[in-house]
Amino acid sequence: MTQLTVSARPRPNPYLPIDSLDPEAELMLLHFGPQHPSTHGVFRMDLYLDGEIIVKAVPYVGYLHRAVEKLCEKLTYVQQTPIVDKNDYVAPMTNEQALVMVFEAMLKLEVPRRARWMRSLFAELQRIASHLLAIGTFSLDLGGALGGGSTAFIYCFRERELILDLFEDVTGSRFHYNTHTIGGNRHDLPVGWGAKVKAALELIESRMPEFAALTIENHLFQQRTKGVGVLEGALALELGITGANLRASGVDHDLRRDAPYSAYDEVKVKVATASGGDCYARSIVRVEEVKESIRLCRALLDGMPEGPINSGKPVKLPVQTKIPVGQTYVGIETPRGELGTWVIADGTQNPYRLKIRPPSLHALAALPYILPGQTVSDAVAILGSLDPIMGEVDR
Amino acid sequence: MAVKEQRTIDTGTGFRHPLYQVMLETPGLTVGTAVLDDLLSWGLTNSMWIFPMATSCCGIELMATAASRVDIDRMGVIVRATPRQADVMVVAGTITTKMAPRVLKLWEQMPEPKWCIAMGSCAISGDFYRNLYSVVPGIDTFLPVDVYVPGCPPNPEALMHGMLRLQEKVKRQKQGETVTPEPNPDLLKITRPSVPRLNDPTRSTIQTIEQERASTNPTADEACAPLVVAATEPPPNLAPLTAADFEGLLKELGVTTLPPDGPPIIPAAQHLELARRLKGLGYHLLVTIVASHWPAGKGRKGADAAEVEHYEVAYALRTVGQGSRVATWAVKVPVAEPVLTLSGVFAGADWQEREQYDLVGVKFAGHPDLRRLMLTENASIHPLRREFPADAAAAPWR
Repeated sequence: MTQLTVSARPRPNPYLPIDSLDPEAELMLLHFGPQHPSTHGVFRMDLYLDGEIIVKAVPYVGYLHRAVEKLCEKLTYVQQTPIVDKNDYVAPMTNEQALVMVFEAMLKLEVPRRARWMRSLFAELQRIASHLLAIGTFSLDLGGALGGGSTAFIYCFRERELILDLFEDVTGSRFHYNTHTIGGNRHDLPVGWGAKVKAALELIESRMPEFAALTIENHLFQQRTKGVGVLEGALALELGITGANLRASGVDHDLRRDAPYSAYDEVKVKVATASGGDCYARSIVRVEEVKESIRLCRALLDGMPEGPINSGKPVKLPVQTKIPVGQTYVGIETPRGELGTWVIADGTQNPYRLKIRPPSLHALAALPYILPGQTVSDAVAILGSLDPIMGEVDR
Repeated sequence: MAVKEQRTIDTGTGFRHPLYQVMLETPGLTVGTAVLDDLLSWGLTNSMWIFPMATSCCGIELMATAASRVDIDRMGVIVRATPRQADVMVVAGTITTKMAPRVLKLWEQMPEPKWCIAMGSCAISGDFYRNLYSVVPGIDTFLPVDVYVPGCPPNPEALMHGMLRLQEKVKRQKQGETVTPEPNPDLLKITRPSVPRLNDPTRSTIQTIEQERASTNPTADEACAPLVVAATEPPPNLAPLTAADFEGLLKELGVTTLPPDGPPIIPAAQHLELARRLKGLGYHLLVTIVASHWPAGKGRKGADAAEVEHYEVAYALRTVGQGSRVATWAVKVPVAEPVLTLSGVFAGADWQEREQYDLVGVKFAGHPDLRRLMLTENASIHPLRREFPADAAAAPWR
């Protein structure tokens, strides 16, 4: 079991009323968001400032609450994959996978081996695209010190487009793919697609050193991120933070290795961790995961088995799929952490209650703990390094 | 150069200045101002700075439009982060009822002349969220939209095309032409919405329920046979609901029966004790908290008729590292009673419980900060309760 270190630094109490903090200091209230280019969507914080230092931070979410859980109660099981695509709109592939896997577990459906390998391949390609976007926008958040930050952003988007093209070849859309179905996949890999993937992976890999020089090896980047926004492992676990944010705090936990699903029991994952818990550690982990995902994609492509991609015969509108009475939770490792779905089924073709466990919501819950004591300019860096996607925070 | 047409000149007081007559008589000057006007409209159309009102998925495509491949900068379109420096507001993404007042405020902060582009289905019509309690069914219910860019999300090329159409529109408006969309009867047939809007007088609101049903439901021929479920064992790679060490702990606490259709139900008094002991056993990671509302006569399998109206709050914890296991349990309380909060044991339970209080309505005793999380502070509904309809649209917009 992972050893958790507890530091001497006391944990801030986010519930203290603002009057009790320091009556002498004339605190300034700064509204940050809900429309701000660095809030990664619509997110608002009330920052109480003593000069430039944050004394207390109160986050507000819900500006993109689209009532997905209520909508899922209305729709049948097979109608729900296009809905959950829109939750984490930077990694839609893993959203669909998390949803259909819980239905398959409840139906006790055996997914064909080829479909499982394809799912893992899609997830890894999606992870590359998602992390590229995360690091690109994070550089943009860091701003001026990195030459406006746009250089890294432009490079990241150039590489990300390669992956979106690959997905477009398979599914026909750049994102919101709707390619996972209950029991398998909808689209088979086109002829000659593997060669395209390898060419794209080679291109991305050849550009990684250049990209690392721009970001994590850059002196200015390190100055701006090292020691900023330190999140301890024990607190991260209590808050339910998962994914790269947790691994950057020194906790060696990755569901792809620890509770393997899809093809991860056959293709082993090397988990990247860092010990700092700061913004820099979170960036390193993401860059390392991109490299590991490139390796995994190659392994998955080389060993891609032949066979059917769906457990049933291809059905057009299986509106009558009914799930027997019961409750199940299944979580998978998305680029942002553990995305899970808890389904309460009552034997009909609609779920009685469907709860999506978004990793980003838990990541944002850390803000009241790690922001006090930091400066306003670092607040933007810390928020960007947690890589929240408001679509899945608010759902 | 003589001016060909004789124009009527306004003989107002402002024009009695002696220099004005000189200006009029100067050959070519009126032509010059016309050229200057053309120059202005040329400059205006080729430097449309946009304010990205990016809320969701379409915002990512908006970023892709501004990034390397499509590079919308070529057309003089620069993304500005403040409404005060922008000409065009691109509303990219779903606008919720909580966000809409802010969007309107930002729109009012933009200087005239200004234009608005609705990007994507959600901004145009609310998409499939349009009938839900929290989503605005199209931004044209409160903003004047100039160009609609359809898609979910639209490609970067589509947004670029939308920008070109806006430039065209602005240019023609400057020249005094009225800009109306081309009437194409075939196109109208396709694009007519199945559900008419109330606020739009040009669209018919008369549509019977039968018509509505006929437009969305598949016919008998289209519907296929049910998916055949193979009777195999559950895939071994999924974490089971209860692990062996957890069952032992339950026996210590006096819970012997493990229900087949869900997590074991723990007496409400022992719930915190169980969480503490699980944490000591290595279940460090808080996974999730799920509350569900069960009206009278509805419940777990076999106990439907005897049930009173109640909440069931389920918890999930996880061990960290190799061979990660999940432990789940549930607490059942009547609707009037609260559940003891878990936020003293797991800090992350704070937001989870606030969300469940907000959406389902279950109260948590001892919670340090029990406010709504998703809906506005003054909201009066708990939308995930069973009696709340799924198609109750937000009031001021419908």
